[in-house]
Amino acid sequence: MQLARPRTPPRLISLVSMIDVLLIMLVFFMVTSTYLNLDMIPMAKSTDDGVVGADPQGDGGVLLIRLGADGQPYLRGQPVSLSVLAARVQGNPDLGITILPSLRADTQSLVSLMDTLTGAGAGQLRILQVAAP
Amino acid sequence: MKLQRAQRRTPPESIIPLIDVVFFLLVFFMLIGRMDATAPFDVTPAVALTGQDMPGGGTTLAIGEAGQIALDGTAMTRPAVLDALRDGVVANPSRLIRVNAHHATPLADVLPLVAAVEAMGARDVVLVVTPDTP
Repeated sequence: MQLARPRTPPRLISLVSMIDVLLIMLVFFMVTSTYLNLDMIPMAKSTDDGVVGADPQGDGGVLLIRLGADGQPYLRGQPVSLSVLAARVQGNPDLGITILPSLRADTQSLVSLMDTLTGAGAGQLRILQVAAP
Repeated sequence: MKLQRAQRRTPPESIIPLIDVVFFLLVFFMLIGRMDATAPFDVTPAVALTGQDMPGGGTTLAIGEAGQIALDGTAMTRPAVLDALRDGVVANPSRLIRVNAHHATPLADVLPLVAAVEAMGARDVVLVVTPDTP
């Protein structure tokens, strides 16, 4: 005669340790994360054949805009506002635009100028930098 | 004689919903967070409304207001940055290079660096901007 040994019920695994680990990870990610809403503006985009950027000689002519050290844009030597520049560019996406910035101007002024021109529909934008002698 | 009714035992609260919520929060923070090295100095990007969505990955070149430079969160001198970038660009010219310049940084500290990176053969150089007022 064989006696059957009563089966011992399997022990329950405690969930407390898992909850501890989860909470620690949760707090870690909540504390260490910095949420930044960032975008980008392409500055250089070249292809395999080495051609960088767009052709500045647009079919709609070329516009040279100088950016002063104070962040003021100049067109043909005269200071112009961003709204005037936007109106000039609107409706002429083939216009090639070259920006000649002063190296003493701040980054925001250049970005604002590019932002205005791009928002007005400028398709061919190029930044010209005069190399120091 | 007054008979006392036996007190009912309240069932223990289940912790399964708590685990579910914690799991959801954990997965949420893990998914939306992007691990990125921050520069050891203050960098508040310029504001632009026509910026494009920035893809992940790549190398971040941070430029502070006083012209300080950091590559992927490590402050370096300009020659060291250019050397490190040159090695990276030679290995992978398609690697995205993000220039994260402070909005008040003079262009003299930004444009020559961008031109140098471009001259190395980097194919994707972008300027980091923010769509909101800092």
